[in-house]
Amino acid sequence: MVKKRFNPIKDKSSEIIEFLMSSPDMPDDEALCFKLRLSIEEAVDNVVRYAYDGGIGWLEVGTNLDNDQPVLTIELRDAGTPFNPLDRDDPDVSLSADERQIGGLGIFLCKKMMDNISYRYQDGNNILTMTKKIK
Amino acid sequence: MQVSISSQDSKTLVTLDGRLDTSNVDQFQKDIAPLMQGDNPNIEIDCQRMTYTSSQGLRMFLMLQKSVMARHGKMVMVGMIPQVKEVFDITGFSNIITII
Repeated sequence: MVKKRFNPIKDKSSEIIEFLMSSPDMPDDEALCFKLRLSIEEAVDNVVRYAYDGGIGWLEVGTNLDNDQPVLTIELRDAGTPFNPLDRDDPDVSLSADERQIGGLGIFLCKKMMDNISYRYQDGNNILTMTKKIK
Repeated sequence: MQVSISSQDSKTLVTLDGRLDTSNVDQFQKDIAPLMQGDNPNIEIDCQRMTYTSSQGLRMFLMLQKSVMARHGKMVMVGMIPQVKEVFDITGFSNIITII
């Protein structure tokens, strides 16, 4: 289990992503780590880019491995503007290039790559929790 | 992410090497700026050594595809590794970009 609060977070996406990817809870499985990295990048980048006006604020991230299942949990917590990323409609992946909008893909990819994502707003914090079964 | 661009006959060959993510997408946009110019482009992107892309990378490929279409050109992406191809499949990008 690891946990760390980053402050400030402006332009710190890479540092935060690498912190999570180097957690001892991460599996030793290249294909699985690809999916975890993608989900982590999308979730972290979302907070770094949009949670705080001007990018001034903190982001606390952590991992936890439940060895019995085994299930990996990744949690992100910030005190930015209340925002539930799961409220957003999934992009229509059947549209043509002309019709496709740029954006809205990040959280959609998280949903597809992880087993479960949940959001709650608690004590003034946005809390995003993602889980993935580890083989 | 290393980007190399070369010309062969009427074709523009692009080779991508490495990870395309939030840390280097701004540089990538600058690197591919030459591909956003000219009439009737014919672009082939070698993706064999592209090990990763996030939605930030997808945005760039969509932007490039739209630009190429607007200039009545064509673009193909070749040699994608399975994990990267899956990202294109899940997001429907496989339907709007020619992937060989």
